[in-house]
Amino acid sequence: MVASSRAVVGRITRRDLLRRGAAGALAAGLAGATVGALPAFAAQGGRRGGTLRAGLDADPPNLDPHRSTAAVDRQVYQSLYDKLVDTDADLKIVPMLATSWSVSQDGRTYTLKLRQGVQFHDGTPFNAQAVVYNFNRMRDPKFPSARKSEIAPVSEVVASDPSTVQIKLERPYSPLMYVLTDRAGMMVSPAAAEKDGLNFALRPVGSGPFSFVEKIPQDHITLKRNPNYWMKGLPYLDQVIFRPFPDDNARVANLKSGDVDIINIVPAPQVKQLAQDSSKPGASYRLSEHGAFSWQGIWLNVTKPPFDNKALRQAFSASLDRNAIANVVLQGAAFPSYSFFPNGTPAYDPTWKIPPRNIGQAKERLQAGGHAGGFEFTLLAVQGQQAQAIAQAVQSMAADAGIQAKIQIIEFGQLLDVTDKLQHQAALLGWSGRPDPDFDIYPFVTQSGIGSFNDAGYTNPQVQTLLDAARVLQSMDQRRRAYSQVTRILADDMPYVWLYFPKEYKLMSAKVHGYEHVPDGMMRFHAVWLS
Amino acid sequence: MIRFLARRLLIMIPVLFFVSLIVFALINLIPGDAARLFLGEEAPPEAVAVLRHELGLDQPVYVQYLRWVGGMLHGNFGYSFKDHRPVLATVLEKVPVTGELTAASLIVAWAIAIPAGAVAAWRQRTAADYGASAAALVGLSIPNFWLGIMLIYLFAVHLHWLPASGWTPLYQDVGRNLRALLMPACVLGLVLAAVVMRQLRSSMVEVLSADFVRTAKAKGLGGRVVVIRHALRNAVIPVITVMGIQMGTLLGGAVITETIFAVPGLGQLTINSIYGRDYPMLEGVVLFSALAILLINLVVDIVYSLIDPRIKLAGGRS
Repeated sequence: MVASSRAVVGRITRRDLLRRGAAGALAAGLAGATVGALPAFAAQGGRRGGTLRAGLDADPPNLDPHRSTAAVDRQVYQSLYDKLVDTDADLKIVPMLATSWSVSQDGRTYTLKLRQGVQFHDGTPFNAQAVVYNFNRMRDPKFPSARKSEIAPVSEVVASDPSTVQIKLERPYSPLMYVLTDRAGMMVSPAAAEKDGLNFALRPVGSGPFSFVEKIPQDHITLKRNPNYWMKGLPYLDQVIFRPFPDDNARVANLKSGDVDIINIVPAPQVKQLAQDSSKPGASYRLSEHGAFSWQGIWLNVTKPPFDNKALRQAFSASLDRNAIANVVLQGAAFPSYSFFPNGTPAYDPTWKIPPRNIGQAKERLQAGGHAGGFEFTLLAVQGQQAQAIAQAVQSMAADAGIQAKIQIIEFGQLLDVTDKLQHQAALLGWSGRPDPDFDIYPFVTQSGIGSFNDAGYTNPQVQTLLDAARVLQSMDQRRRAYSQVTRILADDMPYVWLYFPKEYKLMSAKVHGYEHVPDGMMRFHAVWLS
Repeated sequence: MIRFLARRLLIMIPVLFFVSLIVFALINLIPGDAARLFLGEEAPPEAVAVLRHELGLDQPVYVQYLRWVGGMLHGNFGYSFKDHRPVLATVLEKVPVTGELTAASLIVAWAIAIPAGAVAAWRQRTAADYGASAAALVGLSIPNFWLGIMLIYLFAVHLHWLPASGWTPLYQDVGRNLRALLMPACVLGLVLAAVVMRQLRSSMVEVLSADFVRTAKAKGLGGRVVVIRHALRNAVIPVITVMGIQMGTLLGGAVITETIFAVPGLGQLTINSIYGRDYPMLEGVVLFSALAILLINLVVDIVYSLIDPRIKLAGGRS
């Protein structure tokens, strides 16, 4: 599907980079401590061999991590590339290619110790020079890198010795370690990247547990076992084959029929039934649920009537029943939401409550806004069963307060175009979520995101100050307090009507073992084996 | 015949040129900036500018068009915006898949429609006629995606007779290829069969009341011979026209059916290129579809003359 960074209600166009989040590790890292233990070398008793077939929701468009903008690409990268650091099932940062790291007192120099004896699939050694090369590649003004903004504060990367790199920043930037758990931290073979240039995506070379064999667009991507992988004895599988199934029903049917062994996105309307079926004795598949990571809701364009009127935004929000949306429309496959920080992620604030639906308050706000009789607006949504079900639920809830929503269904690329130019009134559009809270909020409500992420066209100097401070603050506890303050301001200004956090699901065959479910939704197969 | 072919092929050149112009204009009218879609939304404006330059999107539209056409004249159909894959090779890789699916669907359609249509016309207003017409109505009304999912649940999930999806090229494994082909071909073929059957029936009915059929019967020929040797041959001409049109559509890719069965054909390539604003790939696919339709029209015209020798293929001015 399209490459871009936003997730739309419904799984169809969910995309983009998630970065896994963790509180503890970051706090420790920023405090200057050296974090680093050996990674949990997986599991005794895994069976060697076999081919795992994974069903994806879309055909991964680009296998070059430094150019990718589609979430689905990252499903393949987890097997093809190693990252400098990774996150575990609790969203804690753990060593990967970097075995330990430390941060200078001023927060502007990160020193990474690198794992030794690691080779890329083409035999090129992984070392400090390779890391420097990768950063230069991402920052090269002539290379169409999609990573530039993520590592924008990086001013220089130097190899102090063959197994140590220093990343120097223009200003303190607390999200950096999380950035390195995602595509910006994925190391490509310098030799292959140098040789192939833009064609690197056709012959990708990493250092991950599996190496590239072939990609037939819209059909399959085949990876084979990396016999020299640095995690001894891993991976167990001989081959991994990724196949795209854009159709929700077809993807589930292929898992049920045994044509694939795991699927990355389980359609919410089917979750309840699948949970029942898979809990029966002798079921050939199982459903795994683990946390929530993304957010969904409605952008209100504050630069245009009717939502340039704050009271009307508050009225609309008060008319909605978030519990009913999560538990009835989505049948419990989501948490109701009233912030940008999903349950279980580092900045989630358990004391912050979801307000109940309040029609009386909605009518009072309508009156205050000078529209006692209600008003009309157009709500944009993408095609797809789930998006339309949400849009219709919202429509009928708002109607009880006298607010008439007209639903208009448009294609995703067009929706982005309209919302970027702030031509809409309201749009049902979410975000796939990232592990560091900064990327769940910053560009969405500040000037920097206008024309891209900030589809409300909203700015507020107080919000800006707090969010800038959070980027510099050293501990996650302090940052969480800043985010809670921002959330309270946003709950009053209401540029974005929070609706729900979709829960993260994987559906897999009973033959699949050793799968660690990380809430970022990315499938890691290095320790997976088949019975 | 050779002059006819030469003339028709020459005419294709201006037609294709015109098509390329329309394709290019339409694609550039789709809202949404390709460079922005690739870089994600937080991309700094400089990065978008670099990519726009790399993709040639910073040039005036006519320059972009001339570059594209110029490239094609040199055999360079461009590279995917997505991963720099060559367009021509990618499209050609899909052609055998979609071509085989098209052929198989047509075989299914003909196998059902020709006997059903002929019998319905021959035994007009009997149970056979009404039954065939009712079946055709059902075939026309069933949406592809529903039929596809139902077949998957029946034959793949419950009975485990056929794979639920996927594709093995014919040259790799004939058996697996045919097994993967069966369900999508049936889904497409059933809908086609309904259309063809209705068309054949009505043209047969007309032919069966024609003088030469009465003459044939008067000569004492049996009903079966009259229907097959005389009536069917004459009735089949309009049916071939319909088939030609449908074949063109199918070669452009059966998007829904390909998506349900995960068949890596032109339809999926098209839809992915549209969603991703992969202009060069989309232009390549659409141009190929146009070419396919032109060629099929040519073949249909030739087939007319083979079936009905009275239709002459005009070579020069006529």
